[in-house]
Order: sequence, then structure tokens, then C-alpha cells
Amino acid sequence: MKKFTCRHLVFFCLRHAVLAGFLLATAYPLAWMVVTAFRTEGDAQARPLGLPQQWMMTNLAEVLRSGEFSSAYANSLMLCTASVAIAVVLAALAAFAFAQLRFRGSHVLFLLFLVGMMIPVHVTLIPLNRLLGVDGLGIKGGLVALAGPYIGFALPISILILRGAFAALPPDLLDASRVDGCSAWGVFRHVALPLSRPALATVVIFNFLTMWNEFAFALTLLGPGCETLPLALTRFKGEHDIQITQTSAALVLVVIPLIIVYVFAQKHIIRGLTAGAVKE
Amino acid sequence: MNSHRLTPYLFILPALAVYGLFVAFPILDSFRMSLLHWESPLLPPEFCGLDNFRLLASDHVFWRALGHNLLLLVGSLLVQLPLAILLAFLLYYPTVGRTLFRTAFFAPMVMPTAAVAVLWQYVYEPGNGLLTSLLRMTIDPDFSHAWLADPKTAPLWIFVTICWQYTGFHTVLMMAGLSSIPTECFEAARIDGANEWQVCWHVALPALRPTIAVSATLSIVGSLKYFDLVYLMAGGLPEASREVLATYIYRLAFDQNQGRYGYGSAVAVLLFLVALAIVVPLQARRLLNRSGEERAAGSSRGRAA
Repeated sequence: MKKFTCRHLVFFCLRHAVLAGFLLATAYPLAWMVVTAFRTEGDAQARPLGLPQQWMMTNLAEVLRSGEFSSAYANSLMLCTASVAIAVVLAALAAFAFAQLRFRGSHVLFLLFLVGMMIPVHVTLIPLNRLLGVDGLGIKGGLVALAGPYIGFALPISILILRGAFAALPPDLLDASRVDGCSAWGVFRHVALPLSRPALATVVIFNFLTMWNEFAFALTLLGPGCETLPLALTRFKGEHDIQITQTSAALVLVVIPLIIVYVFAQKHIIRGLTAGAVKE
Repeated sequence: MNSHRLTPYLFILPALAVYGLFVAFPILDSFRMSLLHWESPLLPPEFCGLDNFRLLASDHVFWRALGHNLLLLVGSLLVQLPLAILLAFLLYYPTVGRTLFRTAFFAPMVMPTAAVAVLWQYVYEPGNGLLTSLLRMTIDPDFSHAWLADPKTAPLWIFVTICWQYTGFHTVLMMAGLSSIPTECFEAARIDGANEWQVCWHVALPALRPTIAVSATLSIVGSLKYFDLVYLMAGGLPEASREVLATYIYRLAFDQNQGRYGYGSAVAVLLFLVALAIVVPLQARRLLNRSGEERAAGSSRGRAA
């Protein structure tokens, strides 16, 4: 590094000022939401920008007491846990075949899966409604209806990530286990899976986040009285539109757990989001 | 692997079955349904050939919706990407609290889009929303503007929200791209007498090209997938001003029990074809590379991402 001159100092300050400006633009709406959640409605109307005269938990308590939110929480948790578990198992099996087994048509099948990652899911809204409705499987309206599409659309990205991980396993190790008499299933179960924990973690966390945030399928496939969290939030906003503090409290309840998960699992989330386009 | 010939298919079968039933079959089914005329959800559909598509050609709401998608695409490329590159460059130099910046910039990306929409509806609230209040405090105490109700400017404010959500994501991509460029490149240019501006413009930017391509691809593919945000934020606008393709499909089929499944499917088919037409050229080279690589290297390839 050259000598620290006056120009460097100016550049340093300017740079941090610009960054701080963008930080403010990103974080201020979120901070405002949190602050608004902890004040009284009158306070929010009178001085929307200042800090609350008094910090209070009543808004949060009220949102939780209203019932719909707690049941939406439980719904989302159940649905996403089950769907992620199934999706990861299916994707791992398929990814292992794509990465380590040779068979006719593997390339075409893999491309078929990749297409699912590129097309907008909304193409399937109408046909899925027919498929899951009374003329089809007859499960539309309940949480179960969402599991199929959630798992189906989670598969492409999961297979892509896991295939990369399985393909990068040390070939010597795989050969050794084969010589020791492991079947394909044995290699998958006892070698590939245990050695691919980071990729599996990425797939689990990323898919959970995607399903947790999903809106369009929930909007079209769930019946009255059955809501996932994003749906409950928008309905809540519709019903309490003028009560900005209550809706902010609902927002806080939806967003804060996500931000906490994000801070701890940042690496996995970023990897999942970029896997779709980054070259292998 | 010297196992039974059927083994690989047994590994693939469960995933393929679920994928086929819930992804591939519905896509194909939307092609079939696009040829049907649905008087009402209660009556049986009738075959009507390509009538739905003929109707689409003269449907100005459809063309406006497609136009909105394309505007979002161009806007994202012209605004989000340059901003992201700028921020990544700024963060590349030794920065106080770089992790904080990166974490905060990316944070909106993990929020449900529905939550982003609800939050920004309050930012744009005409009475005491964040933006109105800020302008009242700084410029005019009586300021009032219905941000999301004016069909001329509302799309712009929605686009601002979209940038708020996605710019940080592209910034993180660019940061990763920059950090993978060997520092020797920059050092060499500096020794040759280039100033920092020249280093950024003539050395770093060209070296960043692959990352920019990735960012652009994601942006382009993503611009056809807008639904939640537009559906929730543009709801108050007149029909022709508020739709993108995905929301139009939804409104045709489900809004107030319209039940225009056939016509909605025709829009869906076009959305699918547009997506394919955009994605295939973008990804063709990568897919070709992949198959070439596969033949050459067998199963010993690099790690994903």
C-alpha cells in the first residue's frame, strides 16, 4: 500500500458515506416497522417517525392472541418440515444416480429436471387447481394440497446442488467401498450421504426458506380457514389495514425469525440462491 | 458401478414420479386447457381450437401485462446491476463493517415477498406512511400523495420496492465474483501507473464479466416470475395498469370466481413459451458445455457453486 495521503482519506470517507446511505435505505424501512410494532396507534398517527413515547408489547400479544397467526405458524412449520424432508430424500436419490451411476437417458432426464427451475411456477396454477380439485385428487383446500407442488418445484435446484456434491466425492473412496462389496445403495447410504452434509444443509435450509415464503400456490390451493404464514399476513393486513401498529407487529412476527435464521445460515442461503446460475 | 441395470432408474423413479405429476403434467395440461372454452366453472368445457389465442392477440390487458414484464426486465438490468457493481466495488476496498453491510444489503431477499409488499404498502401509505412522513418533515408539512393509486407512477414505486429487495442479492453475487479475481491483476495495473478509477473500469469490470452474466441471467429469468409483489401492491390500479403475466393468469382463473380456465391457460402457455424462448438461448451454451464436460470427465467433476 502506498502512503496514506489526504486523497485516500477523502476516498475512504466518501466510500463509507455512500455505503452508509444505501445501508440506511435498506434498513430504515425494517427498523421503522419494528419501532411501529411497539408503539400505540395514537402515537404512530401523531409522530410516525420518532421513537415511541413508550415501548409496549401489547400489539405483539394481541396479534398472537387473535389465533389465526398461531395456527398459521403451526401450519407453515408442519407443511414446510414435511415437504423439505421428502424433497431432500427424493432429490438425494436422484442426484446420486445422476452423479455416480451410468444409465441411458440420464442426460435427457437431467435436462427435464432443469427446465423446472427456469419456468415460472405460475404456468401451473390453473392445471394444478384442476389436478388437486374435486375432479382430480380431491385434496384441494387443505395443507396436503401444497406438499405436492412444493416438493415438485423444490426438486430441480436440490438435484442440481446435490449432484454437484456427489460428483465431487473422492473417486478412490467410492472405488474402495465398491471393492469392499457395497451395492449402489450401500455407497449412497454409507459414503455419499455422510460426506455431503454441507450440501444437504444448503438444500434443507434453502428449500425451507422458499416454501416458508411461498405465496401463489397457498393463495390458490388453500381453502377458507387454512392459511400459511404469508397468506395469514396479507389477510391480516386486509382486515387491520388502518391499524398500522398491529400489522407491523404481525410483520415483525413473520420477519424477525427469518432474519435470525438468515444471520446464522447466511452461507447456505446465498449458495442456494445462486446455485441456479453459477457454473459448476 | 457394477449393479443391476435397473438400479439407476430405481434411484430416479420417486423424484421423477413427483416431478412428473406436479410439474411436468400440469405444464402439458395447460397446453390442452388452452384449447378449451370455459363458459363458467360449473359448465363442461368445449373444444374451441386456437380461439383463445386469437382473442389474446387483441387483448390489450395481455399486451400491457407482457409489456410490464419486459419493463421490469430492462429496469432490473439497468438499475439493479450497475448499483450492485458499484456497491461491490466500494466494499472491495478495506471497509469498516463489511460483513454488516453485506448482511444488511442481502436481508430483504430472505423476507417473504408478501411481507415486503405489506411493509412497502405502509411506506407508501398516503396518510402517515414512512415516505409521506419523511417528505412532510423535510419539504412540505402538508404533503400528501397516493403513491400506489396513480396508474402513471405506481409501477415506478413498485419497481423501487423490487430494487430494494433484489439489489443486495446482486451485490453479494458481485462481491463473490470480485473476490475470485486474483489480486495480482490489480497490483500489476497499479504498478503500471493506473489510477484506482482505471483499475476498476479497465481491469476489474472486464474480469467481472462472467459474474455479470450470471446476475443478468437470474434477473431475466426472475423478471417473468413476479407475482406476489405486483398482485399485492398494484391491486388498487385499473385493470390494464396493474397486471404482469402471472397476475393476469391468476385474475382470469381465480379472481371473484371468474373461472376463465381456458383463456387463463392460453396466457400461461404464452408465459411458458416466453420463458423458454428467453432461457434456452441464455443457457444453451452452458448446457452444451455441460454435456461435453460430462463425456470428457465422466463422474469426476467440480463441486457445485
